[in-house]
Amino acid sequence: MALASAAVNWLKLRRLWRPSPLKRRYDTVIIGGGVHGLATAYYLARNHGIRDVAVLESHYIGFGGSGRNTAIVRANQRTAENVRLYDEGLKLWRVLTDELDFNLMFFNCGSLLLGHSEASTGAFRMAASTHNFMGVHSELLDPQQCAEVIPGLDISDRPRFPIQAGLYHPPGGIVRHDAVVWGLAKGAAARGVHIHQGCDVRGIKTDAGRVTGVRTSLGDIGCNRLGIMAGGYSTAIAAILGIELPIHPLTIQAMVTHPLKPFLHHVFSSTAYHVYANQTLKGEIATGAHMDPQVNYTTDATAYYLKHQAEALVELMPALRGVRFMRIWAGLADMTPDMAPIMEGNLGWDGLYLDAGWGYFGFKSGPVAGKYMAEYMATGERPEMLKAFQLKRFLENRYSGETPAVMKYGHWD
Amino acid sequence: MADAGRLPEGRLPPGPTCRVDFSRPLAFTFLGRPMTGFAGDTVASALYAAGVRVFSRSLKYHRPRGLYSMDGESSNTFMAIDGVPNECAETTALRAGMSVAAQNVRGDPRTDRFAFIDRFDRLMPAGFYYRLFHRPYRLWPLFQNGLRRMAGTGVLDPRRNYHRDGVRAERHLNAEVAVVGGGAAGMSAALAAAESGLRVCLFERRPWLGGHLAWRVRDFEGEPLHHRAGALAARVRATGNVRVFTSSPVTGVWGDNLVTGFTIGARDDPFRECHWECRAGTVVVASGCMDRPLVFNHNDRPGVMQAGTAWRLARMYAVRPGGAAVFSVGDDMSLEAAVDLADLGVEVRGVADAREAGRQDPGLVASLAERDIPVLSGWAASRAMGRRRVKACELRPLRGGGSRRFRCDLLVANGGMQPRIGVLATVKAKLAYCADTHSYQPEELPEGVFVAGSMTGLRDPRSIEASGRLAGHRAAVSCRGGAATTAVDAASAVRRDAGSAADGLPGPVSGCDIRHGPALGRGAKAFVDLDEDGTYKNVVESAAQGFDVPELAKRFGGFGLGPGQYRVTGQNLAMIMADLRGDPVETATPTTVRPPLVPPSLATLAGPGHDVHKRTPLHGELAGWGAVFRRAGEWERARYFSEDHSCRDEILNVRRNVGILDSSPLGKFRIHGPDALKALQRVYVSDMREARPGRCKYSAMCNDMGQLVDDGLVVGEGDHDYYFTTSSGRAGSTVEWFRYHTRHDGWDYNLVNLTDVLGSVNVAGPNARRVLERVTTDDVSNEAFPYLGCRHITVGDGVGARCLRLGFVGELSFELHVPSSYCRYVWALLVEAGADFGIQPFGLEAQYCLRAEKGHVIIGAESEARVTLTDIGMGWLWDREDTVSKKVGAPALRACENQPGRMKLVGFRVDERSGSLRDGAVVVGRAERGVGGMAGDGEIAGYVCTTRRSDVLGWQYGMALVHEGVAVHGGRLLIRQEELPGRPESCTATVVPPPFYDPEGTKLRS
Repeated sequence: MALASAAVNWLKLRRLWRPSPLKRRYDTVIIGGGVHGLATAYYLARNHGIRDVAVLESHYIGFGGSGRNTAIVRANQRTAENVRLYDEGLKLWRVLTDELDFNLMFFNCGSLLLGHSEASTGAFRMAASTHNFMGVHSELLDPQQCAEVIPGLDISDRPRFPIQAGLYHPPGGIVRHDAVVWGLAKGAAARGVHIHQGCDVRGIKTDAGRVTGVRTSLGDIGCNRLGIMAGGYSTAIAAILGIELPIHPLTIQAMVTHPLKPFLHHVFSSTAYHVYANQTLKGEIATGAHMDPQVNYTTDATAYYLKHQAEALVELMPALRGVRFMRIWAGLADMTPDMAPIMEGNLGWDGLYLDAGWGYFGFKSGPVAGKYMAEYMATGERPEMLKAFQLKRFLENRYSGETPAVMKYGHWD
Repeated sequence: MADAGRLPEGRLPPGPTCRVDFSRPLAFTFLGRPMTGFAGDTVASALYAAGVRVFSRSLKYHRPRGLYSMDGESSNTFMAIDGVPNECAETTALRAGMSVAAQNVRGDPRTDRFAFIDRFDRLMPAGFYYRLFHRPYRLWPLFQNGLRRMAGTGVLDPRRNYHRDGVRAERHLNAEVAVVGGGAAGMSAALAAAESGLRVCLFERRPWLGGHLAWRVRDFEGEPLHHRAGALAARVRATGNVRVFTSSPVTGVWGDNLVTGFTIGARDDPFRECHWECRAGTVVVASGCMDRPLVFNHNDRPGVMQAGTAWRLARMYAVRPGGAAVFSVGDDMSLEAAVDLADLGVEVRGVADAREAGRQDPGLVASLAERDIPVLSGWAASRAMGRRRVKACELRPLRGGGSRRFRCDLLVANGGMQPRIGVLATVKAKLAYCADTHSYQPEELPEGVFVAGSMTGLRDPRSIEASGRLAGHRAAVSCRGGAATTAVDAASAVRRDAGSAADGLPGPVSGCDIRHGPALGRGAKAFVDLDEDGTYKNVVESAAQGFDVPELAKRFGGFGLGPGQYRVTGQNLAMIMADLRGDPVETATPTTVRPPLVPPSLATLAGPGHDVHKRTPLHGELAGWGAVFRRAGEWERARYFSEDHSCRDEILNVRRNVGILDSSPLGKFRIHGPDALKALQRVYVSDMREARPGRCKYSAMCNDMGQLVDDGLVVGEGDHDYYFTTSSGRAGSTVEWFRYHTRHDGWDYNLVNLTDVLGSVNVAGPNARRVLERVTTDDVSNEAFPYLGCRHITVGDGVGARCLRLGFVGELSFELHVPSSYCRYVWALLVEAGADFGIQPFGLEAQYCLRAEKGHVIIGAESEARVTLTDIGMGWLWDREDTVSKKVGAPALRACENQPGRMKLVGFRVDERSGSLRDGAVVVGRAERGVGGMAGDGEIAGYVCTTRRSDVLGWQYGMALVHEGVAVHGGRLLIRQEELPGRPESCTATVVPPPFYDPEGTKLRS
């Protein structure tokens, strides 16, 4: 019966979200039509009954990082406060697929992180112990077991960095990133949220310590609450109000190969080679790597990156010599020094909210971050889950332990 | 010419432009069936000549697909060649013995078992998978696996090593001017640019020069066009400063005019495929045109092909493209193809031209009339008939009216020509729709990029060549490498050529703006995208669901995401979408073009795989001792000297006798100058005035957050002159670190990195002095050379060594720093001298354990982003009284010093003989009771950085970073490791202060 009604339903083609008239005032305005902004709008309307919400997007929804990432989702972070957040985020894909009635194509294939040194074995043991202690499934594997999980990995000592350990995380996987954007837009719009594409924010209006609105390419829009959730561009938007964020915008690139029949059934990534790869449902190997080291706002792909990626992939899985790269693109990542985000409320001005600094992790955190940011914006109270992600930690030298090493970008700091 | 009667099957008599050598047959197999092609064939031309029409099955609907282009514009002819998937048959040269197989096929491509899917297209509107399969959710994994199996084309065996027999090479080229495209325009540009004496590189993707002139035999100014191309090519090849690269597709032009691509090796090339990068001053883009695909019903049937494809099959490969042909085209060059094919014996039954009457070249219309070929102006193909291949077609007037049917086995179809905009798009030229040529043309070109040739809409060979010369001269003028005088010469040439270009040569010709064939639909599919089976109907469906701009439709419906990328789909999708939105076609923006413009294989990109790394001067010696090497940063280092990775023997030998370690990667620096001390005071946390001659001062560097970034020894060498060491990993960034942190001070000091100049050998153990005494006559007694002393001694036959007395591993230890070239000599001396004392080498792992027993911290092992210098118990190094040096990290150290809730480094002793505890186990709280009834705090309270069972101590020690609440001396930690879920192993440990070994330090002072 369910199938039959679904069958009838899918032949009717409707707009997923209707264009809305631009009002001069909304209760809440969110800058950024990516996963974070749309999820926040969706949860504001769904969980808190706040429907007078506008999402402003300067291009089209999903133009930024939301549509440019490699769509990997996982919860095998390093520290407890991060594991907790991403674990809840990981569980949301299924829930959202149902709620939004939109197939987000969550492919629960599991991920395998490869380590290439004695130190990485210890780091993996620490991660696995932390995860399992917190109820998140992870396994520490030896090289032989890695090759059993992913046939074709070169576990010999031929590569310049031989594989020494694996951190296998079955709950992880990939999600169709565009579907998340469209599904959230559909769900938010159905609950009354206005989505305005091609609306470029140029200024922020304040009065007596409160945020009162934004200036945009489509005119001024008043609001009581403003959320800055613009990914790599958040720093520049916060700078309008003189807020200096410890975030570096950096270019990060990704690419896909020609499509192939399924042969890679898991996400794999490598610490030493700085590479991650998975096979999409369409059969392409989608792969990315580290961020470009220079601070910049461009989304230019580079020849060097393509070559680096090939060099790394063929060492890890020699069979990949037989495939070809089809497309490379780049996006912006907003990187904090400790690789953990900044989620703030009433930041200098009443009603000003910020959700930024996600770096590599912006996609997989989108829905769960939106859920808690919505709670924060609706109640004005910082949810317990977000306490670890305050801006003041940088002033107090209390870095999150998400990365063991200290990140260095641009100038020394 | 071969006698027509003896022509191979499917072949035409070879004409003057034929590239195939019938005297050199090449045997290959297709689906196991033996076939024969000839030298000069591509895999596709050989298969087509052999009668193969169905090359593959399409991605979604499993429709039969045939030869459509000759330049790899779609995945129709992607095949498995010698087991390598997704090889493009159109561009792969045939070699003897090749084994070719079709892809995405169950069974024979002609009778694929999944062909029935084609009938269920109604159930698969654009984006159907987003709205289906997720209810009930438990069934989704089934559907998901089904989707996965249906998706993808080629089959890769993950266990196979696709070395693809042959060498991959890599070339780094430099040129003042790079020319992309070896047609008439590109060659003219190269010749013009070369006149100024500049170095020019010319890249052509096909194996020959000449572009479309290379196969055209039409008379022009008294000679066939291909003679014109041949003459230009001969001049280019004879010009010394033009380097010509054929079979060399350009994959992209990147920032600062970096042109990349690869060259497919010819038979006598030393490589199979070669990746190259060319850093060019300026770039001339002359990449030409391709047929713009015509969207009409069943436009994907085998037998429907581009005009260029049919023409090239006949003219370059001497393959008969068909017996009876119909053309539905939109430009003069395709009309010329019709005339030419008719002359080659193909029966051309009709030509529909989407342009209105009077817009065609009258000469060509007359030629067609002479051959009794009907020309239907304002008509286009509305349908291809035939299930597995074209058997007939239907033409209709675009403005409505009755149809005409023609029986044919070849339907040449296009909507006119479209420029190959790939390179222009990747250099970020601003492209805009040109309503005259009906193509995307550059509105603005970036600096140093010039465009020429047919891609600008020119068709007359003289105009094309003139535009090339002009672009070549301009490129030379604009080139930074151009000398002033040649620039002037070139500038005058620009004026001259610009004048002659205006001198009556024909300009760009008007194009054809057809969006699609008439009468779409009616139960037939009209493909906008061949690779992903994207139909016109799917475009409409995407728009209906809100995805009504090309960029969104591309993502929602998958248009232009397949191997053909934007090339087949881009312009048509933009034009159709503009129509659907009701916008003028001028507003249509195509989807973003993404490199690589031609797909390079990972094998070729990875190239020969140069592994750039450093070896110490003692690498050979260590190897001789059976060292197991590991990469440590940029170095290859000896980690173990046996298969026992606990290194028991190596450790015990250092503790009991004497060990020898190659510590050459250690960072080694000299800093001197009036302000050297100030600089040291700035970056080190201690009072560096204590670094005096003959005395090692141990200190550390912090970053602005107070985190430990480096530690090492500083020794005074003389007035304002110091020698210091850093950790190996920091050696490369130390100079920059000093300079950055003193950048505003204008201090006068010199800093020299001696890391690679000097090697170092560490001798450690109770017998270390006895060994040293045998190689030097200098006094190395404890009195003359105490702990943390530094002496210049002479070893062996007069090698001067800087000798530092250290205690990192907790034993009496001397480290000899000698010029790298003397390292092997000194090593041999020490090993010989130590033979009586049991000297054995030890590696990094043994060193790691030895220092851990001593409680010495290694950066990254016992420190991380959450802890400062004081948190890890090294606060004693910090000279907190110093307020004038502005020590890096001091404000953070001060701020964090008494901050509550920080993590601390503690030492611990494992309570039981629990052999399983290893690095990375987590501390989950305080142990209130014994192991029998443990109670943790339920939160992660930290983790074990390093733990080992010590044979010297007889117990297992370790160091852990834990929250301060549990960092209480004498307190007990509950430690848990769970490498597999549900298999936790726990133990308790007592917090004890390090060092664990020799806490009084008597050994290292002995």
